[in-house]
Amino acid sequence: MDSIFVYLNPETVSEGSGPLQGLKISIQPNISASGWPTDAGSNALINFKALVDATLVSRLREAGAVIKGLTRMSEFGFGLAGSRAGDAVSRGAVDAELVLDLMGESRLAAQRAVVCGFKPSYGLISRYGLIGLIPSMENCGVLSRSLKNIREMVKIIAGPDEKDFSLPDEKLPDFSPQKVNPKKTTVGVITETKSGLQGDQESALHAAIDELKEAGFRIKEMSFPDFSLFSLVHKIVGSVEASSCAGRYDSVRYGHRVPGAKNWNEMYLSSREEAFGLLVKSYLFQGAFFQFQRYDAYEDACRIRARLLEDMQKTMSKADFLLLPAANGVPTDATASLSGTYEQFSPTVFANVTGQPALYLPSASGSAQSGFQLAGPRLGDARLFAMGEYLLNLRQGGKS
Amino acid sequence: MEFEAVIGLEIHVELNARTKLFCDCPNNPGDEPNINTCPVCLWFPGAVPRLSQEALEKAALLCLALGAELQPKSAFDQKVYYYPDLPKGFQLSQAHLPLSRGGGIDITDEDGTTKRLRIHHIHMEEDVAKLVHEMEGRVPISLVDFNRAGAPLVEIVTEPDFRTPYQAMEFLKALRTQVRYAGSSECSMENGTMRVDANISIRPKGTGQMNTKVEVKNMNSVRHVGDAIAHEISRQSACVQAGETVVLHTRLWDPDKKVTLPMRAKFEGPCVPDPIVPAIELSQQDIKALRSRLPEMPAARAERFVSQHGLTGEEATFLSTDPDVAAYFETLLGQGIAPRTAMHWLTTQLIPAVRDRGQELGTTPVTPARFAMLLKMLSNDEINANAAREVLVHLFDSEESPDAIVHARGFKQVSDRGELDSLIDRVLGEQPSAVNDFRAGQSKAMGFLIGQIMQASGGKANPKIIRELLAKKLEKM
Repeated sequence: MDSIFVYLNPETVSEGSGPLQGLKISIQPNISASGWPTDAGSNALINFKALVDATLVSRLREAGAVIKGLTRMSEFGFGLAGSRAGDAVSRGAVDAELVLDLMGESRLAAQRAVVCGFKPSYGLISRYGLIGLIPSMENCGVLSRSLKNIREMVKIIAGPDEKDFSLPDEKLPDFSPQKVNPKKTTVGVITETKSGLQGDQESALHAAIDELKEAGFRIKEMSFPDFSLFSLVHKIVGSVEASSCAGRYDSVRYGHRVPGAKNWNEMYLSSREEAFGLLVKSYLFQGAFFQFQRYDAYEDACRIRARLLEDMQKTMSKADFLLLPAANGVPTDATASLSGTYEQFSPTVFANVTGQPALYLPSASGSAQSGFQLAGPRLGDARLFAMGEYLLNLRQGGKS
Repeated sequence: MEFEAVIGLEIHVELNARTKLFCDCPNNPGDEPNINTCPVCLWFPGAVPRLSQEALEKAALLCLALGAELQPKSAFDQKVYYYPDLPKGFQLSQAHLPLSRGGGIDITDEDGTTKRLRIHHIHMEEDVAKLVHEMEGRVPISLVDFNRAGAPLVEIVTEPDFRTPYQAMEFLKALRTQVRYAGSSECSMENGTMRVDANISIRPKGTGQMNTKVEVKNMNSVRHVGDAIAHEISRQSACVQAGETVVLHTRLWDPDKKVTLPMRAKFEGPCVPDPIVPAIELSQQDIKALRSRLPEMPAARAERFVSQHGLTGEEATFLSTDPDVAAYFETLLGQGIAPRTAMHWLTTQLIPAVRDRGQELGTTPVTPARFAMLLKMLSNDEINANAAREVLVHLFDSEESPDAIVHARGFKQVSDRGELDSLIDRVLGEQPSAVNDFRAGQSKAMGFLIGQIMQASGGKANPKIIRELLAKKLEKM
């Protein structure tokens, strides 16, 4: 089996000092650390070394954390085939891992590792230095056994960055510990997510509903008729973004190059043909197809996305949190087809389309069976942490 | 059959903002290759573009100066194509939601009537890198210079309102004046800060047809734009008259042969909204604040020159066209120079002299203060016009004040009546035939005598007093 780490930091002590003193963190090769091999798991970037630290990396270092190294990732972090995300945490090699969440990767990796996984609100964490594929859908996720660790890290890395103007002007969440009153807290369960569940997804969801009811939360069943469209919208809009995003991988300044081409055009085409793996290549093809052949369908998908956002806002106005199922099992390389990948991530992809925060929590039984997801409104990240920590506390016999 | 042309222009203007459009690199494309670069404008993975506020403001002022309406919301799109000068694979441009819509310029047409030439929209975009083709031994190589990559551009897209090369040239001149006033760009076609593409089609005169257009590029002066359009109109007319059809394509203007030649089209893909750069939102208040930053524009300034300083319309238009000239003129007036003197000496002496020396009015060593001092000495009769012209030459070459130059080099005008009296007597004595001519009624002889007296004084005599004294003397003779 491939090793978990593809690069280990020769420095083992922290450079800064602060609230994260001594915390060991791993990142992946699509998160820039100056001078480290940053190939985003793709031959298209082979030999590329980051020129600068990503904003979140420099903030973690300043706060005293040690970046231990880079863990093996899927190509461009799209899906989890070939990725070892989550393994470093589950084996105790690090306290936390950073994993880009394009369609639910940080949450599914957490599920695989039986730890907590968090995807922040879109724009909450600077994207400067992150080598993404689907800019409007992705953000950096965090995995750890300890939800408190995740909260402390997000508190450090969140917030405006003069190098990334896409962060919202809205007021930042207050990440200090908050009280949760179950009797005044409504958790919505979307009817449409309860049907078609497979394997232990269904029993895990029911176990979660029971756990919340027992803790005194109000469970409210709500309908979201178009929930299944999240996957479709992500697939179309995401692939178009990926296609133009990956247009720059031309083998000229870095990346795999096929020698002997007669001209630049041939070099571009043949190098790209060899550089990209099958899954990413089919995704890029699909994006190019919508961009060049079916632009109307792409525009429709953008309109549907705007409508889904409105629907989600309405839904979130009637509940404090949403409870959603986790994925059915964990991905293997056998599922690394485009449709297989989307099927795998169908429970998580909604949060990437809407930009809202979502949290994966392992099941109460502590076994490797499916846990569940909690989601909050956009920029409700701090409340979501409070809710998660409240539940985990109860499990350990604490009161609140 | 008589044809008329339907012409629209696409004008790229490179903004003179301090930095590039999406990063802090200096916007100096002419520097040593690849010096002004960073991960953002090298388009490296992980870089995040950030829209420059200065470039946005310069673009917005340009829009306002052209009478365009700034849009409350505009946004960047990715114009998707790969080319070695665009290794990112897309250019950030505003395809769907441009910065402004509408606007236009009134020109005076060849027949003296006013013609409104409308602008469809104005959008911002980033420039691409520059390809330099060289030989390495016998192998042709292409080098990429990223200094220009990400430089801030606006594109002004007109309505197809133009019918003649003249209209296109007048429009470009007026546009250049407006944009220079707004302070957004030098708009020099020669230096490449203004690049013009013309879309030309022809139709039988009087019909409303819109036929297949041909795009013409590569003109590097306003005159070339006129020539290229004229050539393309006759080429297409000949084509149609020979029974051929005009096909949609792009042609390059060859300034030496004065013809347009077909070029291979560059593939351009569709535009998709950019998911990274936030949309630009301008409130009514923002727009009002921008508008208040526009200076007095050339038309208003010319009008004021006429009403306030008594210049003719033509003079006022000439002075107000170039903001540097207008500012120089007004500084002279501020120093107490009479408007007509300032206008006359600026247009006939200083501007040609500055141009001959390859200088700019804004930076010439002959500052308005020095030039005003010279003109003051002229109007106080301390020097005459001949001497003033000579002192001006010295002003370019030395840092001395006009006063010092006049004294040191003896340019001071001789106004002493006694001194001039004897000078006149001497010349009259030397020129008896001219005196006779005058007495015989040949008034031209007077001018000849004045010339002789001036020469005898070494050009320093006060011509007014000479004329007065001479007339009296000749009368008595």
